[in-house]
Amino acid sequence: MLNIRNFCIIAHIDHGKSTLADRILELTKVIHTTDNAQFLDNMELERERGITIKAKAIRIPYRSKNGEQYLLNLIDTPGHVDFNYEVSRSLKACEGAVLLVDATQGVEAQTIGNAYLAINAGLEIIPVINKIDLPNAQIDHCRLQLTEMLGLPGDEALLVSAKDGAGVPELLEAVIKQIPPPQGDVNGPLSCLIFDSAYDSYRGVIPHVRIFVGKVAAGDRIIVKSTGKAFEVDEVGYFGPGMIPCPVLQTGDVGYLGATIREVNDAGVGDTIISAQYPDTPAIPGFRRAQPMVYCGIYPINTNEYPRLTAALQKFQLNDSSIVYEKETSAALGYGYRLGFLGMLHMEVTIERLKREYGQELIATMPSVVYKVVNIKGEELMIDNPSRFPSPNNIDHIEEPMVKAQIIVPNEFIGPCMELSEAKRGNLVSMDYPEPKTVILTYDFPLAEIITDFYDKLKSVSRGYASMDYDFTGYRSGDLVKVDILVKGSQVDALSYITVREFAITKARALVHKLRKLIPRQQIEIPVQAAIGSKVIAREDIVALRKDVLAKCYGGDITRKRKLLEKQKEGKKRMKMVGSVEVPQEAFLALLKMEE
Amino acid sequence: MRGLYIHIPFCVRKCAYCDFYSLPLNPPPVDAYLEAVLREADGYAGMTFQTLYLGGGTPSLLGGKGLRKLIERLRRIFDLSALVEATIEVNPESATDELRSAARDSGITRISIGVQSLADGELAAVGRVHNSAQALDAVRRAGNSGIFGLSADLIIGLPGQDWLSLRNSLETLTGLGVNHLSLYCLSLEEGTPLAANPPVDLPPDDRQAELFEQARLFLEQRGFRHYEISNFAVKGHECLHNLNYWRGGEYLGLGPASASHIGGRRFKNAANLYAYLVNPAGQVIEVEELNPVAKACEEAMLRLRLLAEGLDMKELSLHFGATNTAELAGRLGEMAQSGLLVCDGATYRLPPSRVLVSNPIFGRVLSK
Repeated sequence: MLNIRNFCIIAHIDHGKSTLADRILELTKVIHTTDNAQFLDNMELERERGITIKAKAIRIPYRSKNGEQYLLNLIDTPGHVDFNYEVSRSLKACEGAVLLVDATQGVEAQTIGNAYLAINAGLEIIPVINKIDLPNAQIDHCRLQLTEMLGLPGDEALLVSAKDGAGVPELLEAVIKQIPPPQGDVNGPLSCLIFDSAYDSYRGVIPHVRIFVGKVAAGDRIIVKSTGKAFEVDEVGYFGPGMIPCPVLQTGDVGYLGATIREVNDAGVGDTIISAQYPDTPAIPGFRRAQPMVYCGIYPINTNEYPRLTAALQKFQLNDSSIVYEKETSAALGYGYRLGFLGMLHMEVTIERLKREYGQELIATMPSVVYKVVNIKGEELMIDNPSRFPSPNNIDHIEEPMVKAQIIVPNEFIGPCMELSEAKRGNLVSMDYPEPKTVILTYDFPLAEIITDFYDKLKSVSRGYASMDYDFTGYRSGDLVKVDILVKGSQVDALSYITVREFAITKARALVHKLRKLIPRQQIEIPVQAAIGSKVIAREDIVALRKDVLAKCYGGDITRKRKLLEKQKEGKKRMKMVGSVEVPQEAFLALLKMEE
Repeated sequence: MRGLYIHIPFCVRKCAYCDFYSLPLNPPPVDAYLEAVLREADGYAGMTFQTLYLGGGTPSLLGGKGLRKLIERLRRIFDLSALVEATIEVNPESATDELRSAARDSGITRISIGVQSLADGELAAVGRVHNSAQALDAVRRAGNSGIFGLSADLIIGLPGQDWLSLRNSLETLTGLGVNHLSLYCLSLEEGTPLAANPPVDLPPDDRQAELFEQARLFLEQRGFRHYEISNFAVKGHECLHNLNYWRGGEYLGLGPASASHIGGRRFKNAANLYAYLVNPAGQVIEVEELNPVAKACEEAMLRLRLLAEGLDMKELSLHFGATNTAELAGRLGEMAQSGLLVCDGATYRLPPSRVLVSNPIFGRVLSK
């Protein structure tokens, strides 16, 4: 146990975390280096590399310079702002963390966010400056930032180039010297933390665990603390990088256990696994079920693909238990699902992956946060779908979720960042200069304002320099209204949205105008309206179509005529009926992408 | 009723909007082509036809001699003794006296002149070979030729066209005794020079629709009946050959790219003049035989184009069987309820207001 080191690498996105992990694995010969690639075919190499990205904890045998043999467990952490809870669970499985800073970018918002999480978790932190091989590396500046912004010993920061491997051996030495070995009673009652899980279609949910007390082996009966369900362990092992069975996992070890767990909820991240012999063993504190913050509807473009979407989602949730979903029907879009996500990035990544990995063509509706609607009876309703809002005269007031966001930006971009934040109803809480060239802006934002395109815009107004991290802070009452969109009198439920009253009309006009252009002219005149309750706040009319006719006789070529009509009709199948009006899918896609 | 169509696939030059199969050949290979057509005809020897239609392309490029030869030989191959109508399409620049006398002598009963417009600017804008004076001359002479049917084609929506010029064309033509008019809205067909390079003064669809509506009212006041989507006629001058198309009748098409409908099967010749010249009897491609349900829907769609006559569902279900037409009847009923069609007893008609937006209606007639 004294020779075990459990650590993770934390960094802002793109600061080189995966590259450094790959280099460490090559140096310790867990995977083969590119130089030896001739002995392996490329496919295999690819696969091996793929595993380094997917494996959440890899056991690395390491012989130190003084000749002693160590076992290093490198534990992966999810890389972005929505996963603070997941990150904190991964950190809990470690005794130390390598804090990686890109020498060309310096300390960024997630560097700070993750560093604080690690400090709060009581981890030993090894500051490392990466990408020192690049000509624009600003090493001294990074040292200064580490010291002034994070209170870490910037002068002692190790210098590495994950790309060419420089400094990596020194880093491994630092890991064994600076990070303390795990502690705990090997003979005590089992207590281990689930910090991640994977799904295997034959073996069910495979929890990834860190043992804090006791040991576990095949044949043991275990209990998942939060659900109280008992399972029999059929295999334990570690990642090296594939799943490698071993006789036992004991205090300080990191690995996996197979116990034919069928339900994702029986192996939730942060949950504790104990021995069935000692059912009163306390849970490791801090476990909570994932709490979705952002919701959106997902609909197959082709209604026939609904069963495929269902299957895809079921499979998806097995690998990401933080996604919640339930059936939803929309008059405009048909059968679909309402999905809840931890945050905006989580949503984007998930929808992207759903589309790609399952080959699904999808319509994603405008994302919504969870509103707290207090009705005139004083009841609190949590509503994640604008179309389910009660009618305005039944609402006493509406509260919306708020976040505290930290934006880190070089001071020359402070103007545009503040302007953008203000336009998004941000309320400046503080403005700090941790060092002369860098500003930390702390804002209170309604979550709804930053879930669509705020991050992209922030990046664009700061030429990519600004970074952001945010945390949910609670609910606040606001002057919010629900705007409905009506096409020829029929409400298009998928397009309803919640907005602040003062922006309602401008936003409605823009939407109605855009919709007018997206819906093709039809046999009848079609009014397009936006309304708050029964009050119309914007209207445009689509004039009736005047010419859509096959005039010529084509020398009796009826087949051609019929095929032209059929082709035209095929185009219409991609339309959704809203009342008596055909609305093309493209209209929904374009509208849902609309920024303002 | 059975019709015989003969496609004459050459022109002096191609018009900018035209997507019919025709090649600009000078001089056109008339003799070789007629021999090929007659060889193809031999394969159907003995068939009886009541109508004959020479379309194109430019059938008037056959010349008087060519026309005489063609019809004379056709009469030997087929039984044309009961012929009630024979039409030739004529372009003004090749409408010679020789052609007219050949037509009269050969038993042609209708001349259809590709006037398109009587405004020189509009004609030039789409690359027509003739000018308005030639067109007027051709119409006058055809009117005096003793041939019973006199039809003219006009295009609506030519670059620069307005109601004044369209009205002038209509007024002049009806004044000269034209008793049948085909009005086609100009459409930009894929692959045509016009679509590749549309002129800036091309009237937009809405404007075309207005012009068509004005023309329709004008013609109705002058005793013309809007009997088919694109066709107007003084009573008794409807084109029987085309009526037969819309009534689901049989017809044989000869020549490259021509279409036939015989014994419930539709088939088509390849659009390749040179292959046709070599092997005229071996050009059939795209044979189609629809199931009874689809066939009934197709016929319904065709008959609805006949605005006055309409579609008699009782007759259709007798012909195809009630089970094969039940779903169609349901759809027609729905459309009648929402005003897309007008229903009178068992007869459905396309109302005048829907003529220019009939595609979606026909789409629903064809399938759910």
